[in-house]
Amino acid sequence: MNALRWIVFAVAALAMNFPIIVTLVTSFKSARELSVNPGLWINQPTLENYLRVLTQTDRFNIYSYLWNSTVASFIGTGLAILLAFPAAYVIARSEAGKRTLLPIVVNLRAVPLIIFAIPLYMMYQWLGLLDTRLGLGLILTIVNTPLALVILVNAISDVPLELDEAAKVDGANSWRIMISIIRPVVRPALVTTFIFGFITAWNEFLFGLMLTTNKAVPMTVGASFFFAASGGGVQWGTASAVMMLGALPPVFLGLLMYRQISGSMAAGAVKG
Amino acid sequence: MAIVKRAEERAYLTPLVGFLLLFLGFPAIVNLIYSVSTVSFQTLRSPSLSGFGNYLTVLADHGFWQAISFSMRFGILTALVECLLGLFLAIFLAPLLSKRAALMAPLMLPLMVAPAMIGLMYRLVLHEFAGPVPYYLFEWFGDSPAFLDINHAFWTLTVVETLQWTPFAFLLFYMAYVAVPLDVREAASLDGASGLKILWWIELPLMLPTLVIAFFIRFIDGFRVFDNVYALTGSGAGGSTTSLSIYIYQAFFKEGAIGKAVAASVILFLASLAVLYGLNWLAGRRRL
Repeated sequence: MNALRWIVFAVAALAMNFPIIVTLVTSFKSARELSVNPGLWINQPTLENYLRVLTQTDRFNIYSYLWNSTVASFIGTGLAILLAFPAAYVIARSEAGKRTLLPIVVNLRAVPLIIFAIPLYMMYQWLGLLDTRLGLGLILTIVNTPLALVILVNAISDVPLELDEAAKVDGANSWRIMISIIRPVVRPALVTTFIFGFITAWNEFLFGLMLTTNKAVPMTVGASFFFAASGGGVQWGTASAVMMLGALPPVFLGLLMYRQISGSMAAGAVKG
Repeated sequence: MAIVKRAEERAYLTPLVGFLLLFLGFPAIVNLIYSVSTVSFQTLRSPSLSGFGNYLTVLADHGFWQAISFSMRFGILTALVECLLGLFLAIFLAPLLSKRAALMAPLMLPLMVAPAMIGLMYRLVLHEFAGPVPYYLFEWFGDSPAFLDINHAFWTLTVVETLQWTPFAFLLFYMAYVAVPLDVREAASLDGASGLKILWWIELPLMLPTLVIAFFIRFIDGFRVFDNVYALTGSGAGGSTTSLSIYIYQAFFKEGAIGKAVAASVILFLASLAVLYGLNWLAGRRRL
């Protein structure tokens, strides 16, 4: 029975990660090898694809895509936490917001955000936010807010109320309690929220596609440019290297924190 | 003793509420107005009210119904397969995973990669000349289907979506499964219940709320799918893979048909409200 479990595990892991494995393998193949050997084995591993992507930046500047994704994801995650943390504190500690704000924000997760995309596009045009990292970051804030709020409300609710009350007796006001007492206690939840939000923001595609054209193009959108590249068809080795570089940051963060993330993902879905 | 005073409550909630009103409330109102107006890129600031023409255009559009049909079929089918597979993996692999937590990592890895990126990766995986899947199929069977043509695209996308998101369902079910109290299991086992009986009469009923929620989340995400479909087929194969999200995107960006795109958005919004209402009603009734 246990042997069977191992087999099922191996098959599932392999099937689910198949595109990642193929892309990784292809990224280490030379163009010549790829033309005769599309299989899963590499005869002569090479780094030339990565070198080309990282050095020949005249047409597609991967550094710019990576930087745009980094900045926009930081804005989109940091701002979501700044907005959600005080609100989560109120929701966890008093009735205000619990009945209305929390359910509305949680349900946002289930609303297809494309329905807001067209007016947002126009709004951005008026405000001059189209094709800016700030503009993209503000949208990513919206994307991140529901889960940030759920995780933080859960975390703060788990903090004993006596802690607040003791601090209050000592003369601290609510702002002070929130910053100096609650924040350190829920630090793990804040870190999880940040990592989780960063991954979500980094992986966002639709708004990157709609709201950026050139200066602020994020990695998910930039990667697709490499497919439309030269007239002679897609250069699969190069494209694979690009995809691996684009997938690396969220995968790295995810593997670093998978235990915490899996917990909050489940909590965010079920408790919401 | 109230920790947060009334005025402070308001001060702490206002930034979030204000932000949401600006970025979601305002667009929602603009959507409603534009959906009953005649509007083009030239008249964005001065739309003239014109009744429900846009809605009639959308409802008379064959492409709209095709998109709804795709989104419905795709959402239901992927949610169903993901939940069944996820449930099987969670229960079957639980004895393995409970001792070796690190085994969770490879099962969760697909969730960390952008769906758009996964879509692009499958362009390589399935490519006629560069992709390993057609290569091996040719090698072993002498033939390989055209995965992205009009006959196969829907099924290809279903598999792609399922393989990426089964881990999500698996994760929820695994968490729910290990949360089933040990003493309940033991008591049933002492009474002589077999493993299968315990699963059917005790564990599955206890996991039911999670099952319902996971199905709805996966259905909604499948219904509004955009990233991987757009990256993999670009809605292609004769429009057979145009989801409702892609329909709205194309109406706006490719056709410049603002009224049509906005009216379709409002319809999608109402539809998701209906689903949410249903879900919340179900949640209240079942005390999820």
